[in-house]
Amino acid sequence: MSPIKSPLKSWRSSLVFRVTTTIVSLTIIVIWLIGSALETQISSGIFDEKLRLSIADAQSTARNTQIQLTFSPYQDKAALKLIFTEILAVPPRSFESSARELAVFSFANTNSKFKYAGTSNLVDPISIPESFREKTRKSTATQWERTKLKYVDGKTESAIVVGHVLTIKGAGKYELYVISSLAQQSRTMSLILQYLWLTGVALTFLIGLITFFVLRRLISPIRDAAKVAEELTAGNLELRMDIQGEDEIASLGYSFNEMAVSLQQQISRLENLSKLQQRFVSDVSHELRTPLTTIRMASQVIHATKESFEPTVARSSELLISQIDRFESLLTDLLEVSRFDAQAAVLEIEEVDITALVKETIDYLHPSQDRIIHLWAPDEPVMVDIDPRRIKRIIRNLIANAVDHREDKSVDVQIEQTENEVSIGVRDYGVGFKYTDKKLLFERFWRADSSRARTTGGTGLGLSIALEDAKLHQGEIDVWGERGRGAHFVLTIPKFAGGSIQSKPISAQPD
Amino acid sequence: MTLIMVVDDDQDLAEMLGIVLTGAGYEVDLVSRGDEVMPLFTAQNPDLILLDVMLPGLNGVEVCKLIREKSMVPIVMLSAKGDKQDVVAGLEAGADDYMVKPFDPSELVARMKVRLRRSTAEVSTDLQIGNIKIDQIEHSIIRDGQIIALTRLEFDLLVALAKEPGRVFTREALLSEVWGYRPATDTRLVNVHIQRLRSKIEIDPENPKIILTVRGVGYKAGVPGSPQ
Repeated sequence: MSPIKSPLKSWRSSLVFRVTTTIVSLTIIVIWLIGSALETQISSGIFDEKLRLSIADAQSTARNTQIQLTFSPYQDKAALKLIFTEILAVPPRSFESSARELAVFSFANTNSKFKYAGTSNLVDPISIPESFREKTRKSTATQWERTKLKYVDGKTESAIVVGHVLTIKGAGKYELYVISSLAQQSRTMSLILQYLWLTGVALTFLIGLITFFVLRRLISPIRDAAKVAEELTAGNLELRMDIQGEDEIASLGYSFNEMAVSLQQQISRLENLSKLQQRFVSDVSHELRTPLTTIRMASQVIHATKESFEPTVARSSELLISQIDRFESLLTDLLEVSRFDAQAAVLEIEEVDITALVKETIDYLHPSQDRIIHLWAPDEPVMVDIDPRRIKRIIRNLIANAVDHREDKSVDVQIEQTENEVSIGVRDYGVGFKYTDKKLLFERFWRADSSRARTTGGTGLGLSIALEDAKLHQGEIDVWGERGRGAHFVLTIPKFAGGSIQSKPISAQPD
Repeated sequence: MTLIMVVDDDQDLAEMLGIVLTGAGYEVDLVSRGDEVMPLFTAQNPDLILLDVMLPGLNGVEVCKLIREKSMVPIVMLSAKGDKQDVVAGLEAGADDYMVKPFDPSELVARMKVRLRRSTAEVSTDLQIGNIKIDQIEHSIIRDGQIIALTRLEFDLLVALAKEPGRVFTREALLSEVWGYRPATDTRLVNVHIQRLRSKIEIDPENPKIILTVRGVGYKAGVPGSPQ
């Protein structure tokens, strides 16, 4: 695996990462939901239990106090106060024990002689809300409410308060409150919660890890398949997948390997066909060329003595020679075309100055008539990696075409370059062609106007071969033409071997 | 009279070549099998050999190698295949030139004339290229006191470069100078022969000092007297 990737890239490129992330996210959501539900359930269970105990405790305390008061021998204020003090003398809480505090208040309308208000262990009376006291005073039954237990020194904890009304003969009614601290329960609860979340995190991590490894195990054959497929694409047809077991993944492997075998067979069949084709081309070449050589020599021997012939025989010998030339160039072009078809054409790259090459071609085609062909080229050499034979052939073809169709007007040849591309434009101002014929120009043996074309020497394969040659160089030939306005052919090729065309220094469309 | 040995299995073509060459003033000896060449060659000692590639008995490339073991006689291969590997194989076997069928007979004769001409015709002083001495009268080259055997074509190629030490020759220029070609012909001929020549005269052919490549243009002679 690659060491560092941006998460977004991993998300897009790695199925394992995607699935693992999804499953972990889902696990977190589920665990959070379950955890929250559990928390609510457990905390309410703990609270209910504590409430039950608190109410029972409060009731028994109330009963005991009531009994104590009812049977007390003292009926004066001092005795009463003593009893209350005794009741309120709850031992101060220790840290571990569950705290339980008491409070006693006389009713508001009690005879002032017996008024009393007191709490155990410095509990702040505001711990019991006035609204709750009101409720307790009005009811005969036991009341309860959640509250905050506050001490005078400012300590606060959550608690349950249970309220009772005590009735004392000759003295009046009193409120008795038992406050049970929930501190212990809170501690228990937070401990449970801690374990709950710890379990949740561990579970999430575990699920993530398991998912990751299981997926990786599952995916590795698929990755292998992808790698093997890449190798196959690169031409390494012998490569096969390793197959273990007999499960679905293995059957994928078997099918994959079968596909590779059939692919290999198909390719080797096609290769054989192509070899056969090349062989045939080579044989035809040999078989046709030898007799053609003999015919040619014979015709020249005849032609050399034409002065002694009848005029018709002399003319015949001339026709014979020119048609042998034509036959020969046709044969050469045909062989070239079939070499392209068999994909047997290979580039022989050299570094050359394309300007010099174009000049040479012009000189070769029209050594004496350089007035009709004007070359516009950069002053410095334009060095390019090309197969000079093929590029020369393209340029020769384009210029020869332009000269054939120029109708006594000049021909402009232009060379332009950018950093990575070079264009050679050949423009004539002659007959031109119908713009709709643009595509047909490159078809084999296609002629715009058969009566006219036959007088010019082409084989009908020139442009088709030029296009193939350009393609071999990763180049293109662009065409513009209009009837009566001439034609513009632009060859663009990358300057360096293996490059591709990014821009075109010359556009075929004239300004 | 100049004797030309024509080796071709195609009877009609061989006969036709005979007619054309006789007409051009040569004496012609026709051979139709590859394995018949060597005995006849030893017996007749021709001045030039026209050699077809596809031959019964022994193919033209093999025949060419056998002849080169014994003689530096000019050899022009006749090939029906224009494919690079055949052409290069023929040249590497020691052929001086090749003609792809169907060729123009007048061009064939012209090229044969170039191959047959005596380069000693223009006798001049000894030439020096790198640490190599060229004796144009003796028609030999000497490196560090040792005579190196070259074919006549290789000798001509070296002389052409050495005669104008500063000049950079394009492949086309060398073609017309040494082979008598018009331009726009295949320049592979030059590349192969330069390589053959280098393998004979350079101490390290991978790092040539006598025949230098000028990238993108062609070749030129190394500085006379410079150590290798």
